[in-house]
Amino acid sequence: MSTDMIKINNVNFYYGPTRALTDISMTFGKNKVTALIGPSGCGKSTLLRLLNRMNDLIDGTRVEGEIIFEDRNIYAPDVDPVEIRRKIGMVFQKPNPFPKTIYNNISYGPKLTGMGAQNMDDLVEQSLRQAVLWDEVKDILNKSAMNLSGGQQQRLCIARALAMKPDVLLMDEPTSALDPISTAKIEELIEELKKNYTIIIVTHNMQQAARISDETAFFYMGNLIEYNKTEKIFTNPDVKQTEDYITGRFG
Amino acid sequence: MQEEKTNSMPWRYFRQNVFFTCVRASALVITLALGGIIFYIIYNGISVISWDFITQPPTDAMTKGGIMPAILGTIYLTLGAIAIGLPLGIASAIYLTEYAREGRVIRLIRIGINCLAGVPSVVFGLFGLGIFVIFLKFGSSILSGSLTLGFLILPTIIGASEEALKSVPQTFREASLSLGVSKWQTIYRIVLPNALPGILTGSILGIGRAAGETAPIMFTAAAFFTAKLPSSIFDEVMALPYHIYVLATAGTNIEATRPIQYGTVLVLVAVVLGIDLIAIIIRGYMRRNKRW
Repeated sequence: MSTDMIKINNVNFYYGPTRALTDISMTFGKNKVTALIGPSGCGKSTLLRLLNRMNDLIDGTRVEGEIIFEDRNIYAPDVDPVEIRRKIGMVFQKPNPFPKTIYNNISYGPKLTGMGAQNMDDLVEQSLRQAVLWDEVKDILNKSAMNLSGGQQQRLCIARALAMKPDVLLMDEPTSALDPISTAKIEELIEELKKNYTIIIVTHNMQQAARISDETAFFYMGNLIEYNKTEKIFTNPDVKQTEDYITGRFG
Repeated sequence: MQEEKTNSMPWRYFRQNVFFTCVRASALVITLALGGIIFYIIYNGISVISWDFITQPPTDAMTKGGIMPAILGTIYLTLGAIAIGLPLGIASAIYLTEYAREGRVIRLIRIGINCLAGVPSVVFGLFGLGIFVIFLKFGSSILSGSLTLGFLILPTIIGASEEALKSVPQTFREASLSLGVSKWQTIYRIVLPNALPGILTGSILGIGRAAGETAPIMFTAAAFFTAKLPSSIFDEVMALPYHIYVLATAGTNIEATRPIQYGTVLVLVAVVLGIDLIAIIIRGYMRRNKRW
């Protein structure tokens, strides 16, 4: 199964005494866009943050089960989460550029993680081109990233993640804080990026999931209800609950 | 009923006016008090201020001459206190906000820091005397005084630093960590630079206190009189607050030196404001380009 990028086996996740995810097992295909959908609090963002160990930052959390990436369990005791995050990048709900110049936002990760061997100027340009931002910012690389618009900032954050040359890109509702035009640009970008990256995206926007993803997983109350081809989920789902959700009958 | 309501309106306005007047009066009293103190100091002290006063050592059993050794001593002690208190305070705050997990130990540490803030300064003086001057054999010196003042201002600096570190958005930390940057690098490269202006703002209070305290340096650093300037951190120095204390209580001719006393107070206020100003300028420099 060389087409699997990440494999989740029987994962339970707890915030203190509260179980947020129950016995999740699923695989994410290589160079596929997988959408995670479900009502607020269903555990989809929690699952996403498990994949690059961002939940480690929250006190009192506990993981059971295993998540296999590159033939090893990323929750094995000998695995360094910093190492995992270099290969599994993340884009957040709200654009969160550093209060630095555009150039330094991109070069920050590669420089600090010892990827600086190659030409940094080239890497910055290449990353910004990949995020379709280069033409808009090539003359203001030394200006603060805080002056960019929300949509530009989010593409900058994508470029920043891409500069690390990750294998997987996790996106946590990347367009929920953006206007429709910026959203369309990010969606086009995702379409383009899936040629080279495995993308897992959490979204509240049903049409967005239908438009951009190959596979869709529907979560409800910490359970994986249905995981199928996106086309199937949105036309003829196997589970009644899924149908109720996507047709807006609940949630 | 209707009549009663309309009748009560003037009464309500009256109460409102009384309240506003009280609030305004409070603000006025504070402004007047501050203005009064500054005016009183300047009025009584300005006559002795001259170039010689701030560049010459005292003469004639400290009844004439300048206060240069005391100015220099206070500057040394304050810089020493900053050099000790700031790194230690920032490091403690980083531990408390970034690394420590909330629990009983952290609560105890926080209580300890708050208690430290309430300890009278003379206790710090005796502590410095026992530990630095006698036990560690630093003697009465710049080093002992700086260490004592450094500990005195620690609670202020830790408190200011914690607030500043907490105000750095969590999203910055997440963004940095999600790139595979280590926690320490994230703190050093992202959190700390964004927190430094706030840390300095809060620390200015501590710096002013370090310059103005008398009790902590009485036993640990301050000399009654020495015309000799310090040549190392193991030398005793004169200091402005202690010099004022000496002139006003134990001088050879207390009444005759009143103008010198006020002049010295004026210089002390100026030195504190000067050190604050430097911190404000550094902060302004660091704040450029830092907004979110």
